[in-house]
Amino acid sequence: MIVIESVAKQFAAPRTGWRLRRDAKPVQAVQHISFNAPDGRITGLLGPNGAGKTTTLRMLAGLITPDAGRVAVDGIDVVRLPRDAQARMGVLSDSRGLYPRLTARENIVYYGALQGMARDAAHARAESLARMLDMTALLDRRTDGFSQGERMKTALARALVHDPANIVLDEPTNGLDVVATRALRETLRFLRTPEGGAKCIVFSTHIMQEVERLCDSVVVVSHGRTVASGTVAELLQQTGQDDFEQAFVMLAFAEEARA
Amino acid sequence: MNAVGVAFSVFRKELLDALRDRRTLMVVLVSAVLLGPMVLIALSSLLASFEAQAERREVVVAGIEHAPGLKNFLERQSYTVKPAPADYETRLRRSKLGDAVLVVPERFEALLLAGEQPVVEVISDSGNRQSQSSASRAVQLLNAYGRERGQVSLLMRGVAPELLQPLQVEERDLASTQTRAAQLTGMLPFFVIMAVLYGALNAALDTTAGERERSSLEPLLMTPAARASLVLGKWGAVASLAMLIAVLSCFSFLPAQWLLRSDTLQAMFQFGLHEALMFLVVLLPFAAALSAVLMAVAIRCKTFKEAQASSTVVVLGVSLLPLVTTFNQSGEAPWHLWMPALAQYTLMMRVLKGEGFGPEQVVVPLAVCVLLTAVGVAFVARRLRSAAVR
Repeated sequence: MIVIESVAKQFAAPRTGWRLRRDAKPVQAVQHISFNAPDGRITGLLGPNGAGKTTTLRMLAGLITPDAGRVAVDGIDVVRLPRDAQARMGVLSDSRGLYPRLTARENIVYYGALQGMARDAAHARAESLARMLDMTALLDRRTDGFSQGERMKTALARALVHDPANIVLDEPTNGLDVVATRALRETLRFLRTPEGGAKCIVFSTHIMQEVERLCDSVVVVSHGRTVASGTVAELLQQTGQDDFEQAFVMLAFAEEARA
Repeated sequence: MNAVGVAFSVFRKELLDALRDRRTLMVVLVSAVLLGPMVLIALSSLLASFEAQAERREVVVAGIEHAPGLKNFLERQSYTVKPAPADYETRLRRSKLGDAVLVVPERFEALLLAGEQPVVEVISDSGNRQSQSSASRAVQLLNAYGRERGQVSLLMRGVAPELLQPLQVEERDLASTQTRAAQLTGMLPFFVIMAVLYGALNAALDTTAGERERSSLEPLLMTPAARASLVLGKWGAVASLAMLIAVLSCFSFLPAQWLLRSDTLQAMFQFGLHEALMFLVVLLPFAAALSAVLMAVAIRCKTFKEAQASSTVVVLGVSLLPLVTTFNQSGEAPWHLWMPALAQYTLMMRVLKGEGFGPEQVVVPLAVCVLLTAVGVAFVARRLRSAAVR
């Protein structure tokens, strides 16, 4: 269960050149984003590039502190108790670098150790995750020559090593082909079911089809704000469209349309 | 959660990661660990060739037939007189001839008898080092011959030779054999320091800037592992590598000694187990501090390449500070022990000179190293989170 209540985040403008530029304004990456992601559901964070999705998920992961608002994971405040909250989350972030000189198994087990797992438990978990993600053959290869899909699987397994109740994925299908995307979708559907652990899954994307095929509910963000939320059907109804892409454009780019 | 356990996991992973980087490791091992012994061996063969020349007792003379008296004198000093080759000037210039050449003029004996001071040229090339050292020996020999001749003629006139030499000069060198050797082996501590530096450099950059470049730092900080555990684990791995290189390079001098070709150097270069351990007492804290400093420099950089450029400052500092002793001939000053790298160099030189050092001299450099380590590790821990988010 993930609750995000009207978070905001401002970044200082990057300094350019040697002199301080007075005219550079700070960037308001996130102004007002709120959503609830219940357990056993897949919540999609849909928005155009630069809408503030990654920043929001970084605040959720405890990597940056929000200027305002509240972020809670299973009732634990991320700002006050970041490490307790992090232990309840598996995050596949925007940057998903692996250690090229370690094997996939070593990469996964290392994160198990960082999550405070015993070595045996981490090894057993790596095996079962590999079966679930269909990557058993990859386990003992160094990640150096991995393809995008293989990297993503390894990074996902690494994020899920401690069997977290909440799963956060930042644009997980970036750079994946159809087969890998389908496999990921299947995995997420399984994790949502009671047999898969009825996880709370949040994932961000800018691809309409992903949301239509996978999400139980959608949060549309644009310009750092939540502009709409609900199921796909509800959003279609709200905008009076029968094409989801059209509905999304209306919701996300309402300001531009008015101007 | 167990912070020590996490730090140990990080330590083990980083060490494994660094040891898997075979190519870099081999380059560091070969260049850093073998460099010192190689220099030692090169030095010894140079000395050996000088010694061989001195032992050869040969004088190269052009026109010895004009000076039978000089020939007799040289042979009495157990020197072999060799005629000079015709093209000795070009040979000397091209360093093909390793001996200075004495040129005796045609009417040498006649001029000598007439008391007209014949001129004997000693020809060498200052660009040809071997001929230089043999030239000074030739000059000594000629002077001795001149003195002998003078004394003989004075004796014939009834003057006691003591009158001409009213005082006796005797040189006594207070430097012990080891002190003299230290002039030659003075570059060894420098090589050892550089070895430690290069041992730490790659791992320090890889665990900080490399982690940023690979974009694996962000997921790392999304785990509940404490930042202090992460940084301490990383630092531990880097420092262990640097210490490993320190140990290897110190102990590599022990077998290198067996290969020493020069007896003099072998006699002067006293480097046993005790000296190696003294070196390590100095080097291990330095390796720890250097690792922390390099990591602190590198964590500010986004890429490995950028970090390499930034770390040049540290590399330069570490390689230039020991030079203070060369520029500053006034000897050891108390502040030397407060400067990292310089302090280690000074203490290691003391070991090589056979003077050694007591605990009171180690305390200051040790404290400086501990302080540097603490500051470096704390800085990395502070910067870690802002470094992860680009």
